This record gives sequence, structure tokens and C-alpha cells, in this order.
Amino acid sequence: MDMFSPVILAFTGWFNLEACLLLAGIVFIIGVWGFIVRKNVLIMLICVELMLNAVNLAFLSFARAHASSADPALKAAGESGQAAALFVIAVAAAEAAVGLAIVITYSRNRPSVDTREMDLLKH
Amino acid sequence: MADIAFLISAVVTVLCALIIVTRKNPIYSIIFMLPFFLAMSVIFVLLQAAFLAAIQIFIYGGAILVLFLFVVMLINLKSSELRDDFSLWPYVWASLGVGMFAGAVGFFINGGMTRKLAMAFEAPAKNPFLGSCESLAAPLLKEHLVPFEVVSVLIFVALLGAVILSKKRV
Repeated sequence: MDMFSPVILAFTGWFNLEACLLLAGIVFIIGVWGFIVRKNVLIMLICVELMLNAVNLAFLSFARAHASSADPALKAAGESGQAAALFVIAVAAAEAAVGLAIVITYSRNRPSVDTREMDLLKH
Repeated sequence: MADIAFLISAVVTVLCALIIVTRKNPIYSIIFMLPFFLAMSVIFVLLQAAFLAAIQIFIYGGAILVLFLFVVMLINLKSSELRDDFSLWPYVWASLGVGMFAGAVGFFINGGMTRKLAMAFEAPAKNPFLGSCESLAAPLLKEHLVPFEVVSVLIFVALLGAVILSKKRV
């Protein structure tokens, strides 16, 4: 244990609210970037899932911060934050199911799922 | 210990997110969703959301991932689609906009608006039941009952919609 204690000390304090929010922001921004840059519909849908996951992380870190407070109203707010994260997961599941059904129907009628070739309304 | 676990999972999360976005073949993106969701659920456990971490593994790692995998196998991507013909400008504009958004997020995080909350976060947990089934069910069945029922209707409608959309002939 003594051999590892300097290592453990060096990493103490990294797990805090700012770090969690920063991680959520980074993952959300990677998702936004992928959604803008990629042209494959499937990867765009995956990027939406990435963004929803990042939002969940932000919800849960704020819930953790609120739930530690002594005020009972804030404590209830922490529990509600976790309920909101559950709602986000449910909506993400519904969105993925409908989005993938649309992709399957589209790929049955058109040759490609590239967004650059989705120009049926233009011609 | 929580700090080391958080650091490892944060690094895994960001690396997997970057791999997901940059792979050309969607199969690789989907395979790398699995470590992404697992690392994210480790962070959920550290944030005292044990039930949601389990739900994360069930729903994302079990259901959504397999759904994406099946769709990739169903829609047979041509090899010509697996290349992205490279043009620099979309990347430049997207990176510029995303960078500005990242700056706004960083400004918010550093703005001192969350200082008091950050202190509360570091305090030892006064609510050891946070994240258990009981503490999650109480707000769902009391003050958020209507949204909870609406979500069940939403999932039912999404189920019907997915079946009807992907039927061969309506």
C-alpha cells in the first residue's frame, strides 16, 4: 500500500463538479462536430446518442451536487435530476428506434444513405 | 480511488468518442460505442447513480447498440460509400463553430456560477440512498407522474411507428 500511496495522492481531487461538466462538454462537442462533418446517416444518429449521453452526465453531476446539500428542497432536486436522466434515456431509445426504421425504409427505396445524395425534393 | 477511476473512464470516454466520429466504416463506430457506454456507466456509478448506470448498460449497450448493428447489416453499404471524399472546408467551418461553442461551455464552467455547487459536490454524500431504486422511484411516482406516463405512451408510439415505417407494404 505504501508503494502506491504517492500515486493515489497525485490523482486526488480530480473527481469534482468542474471535471464532470468539462467531460460532458467535451463529449457533447465531439457529438456536435461529428453530426456536422459526417455524411453517413448512421454515424449522424450515433452522434446524437453521444450528445444525449453527455447531457445525461451533466444532469447526474448536478444531481450529485444538489443531493449533498442539507436543504431538503435541494435534496429533492437531486433526485429529480436523476429522474430527468431516466427520461432522457427513454427518449433516446425511442429516437433510435424511429430513426433506424426511417434509415431502413430509405435504403430500401434509394440506393444510398449518404446525406449528399438525399436530394429528392430538389429535382 | 474514485479520482483514478474517474480519470481512466474519462480518458476512455473521450478517446472512444473520437474513434466513433472518425471511423469511415460504421461497424467500427458501433463496436467502439460499447467501451464508450461502459466507461460512461462507471462515471454514473461514481456519481451515485447506480440504478441509472445499470439502465445505461441495458438500454444503450444492450438494445440500442444491437439495433444499430442490425441496421448496418441490413442496409448493405456499398464500398464506394465507405470513402468520404475529403474536402477541407466543411471541417474548417465545423471546427470553427464547434470551437466557439466549446469556448462558451468553458466560460460557463469557469464563470464561478457553480462555485457553491462545486463545494457541495466535494462534500461527503449526505444522502447515501441517492441513486437507489427507491430514491429514483419516489419523484417518478409523485411529482413527475404525468411525464412518466407520457414517456410510456411515447415509447409505445415509437414502437408502432418503427414497425409501420419498416414494413414492406403499408
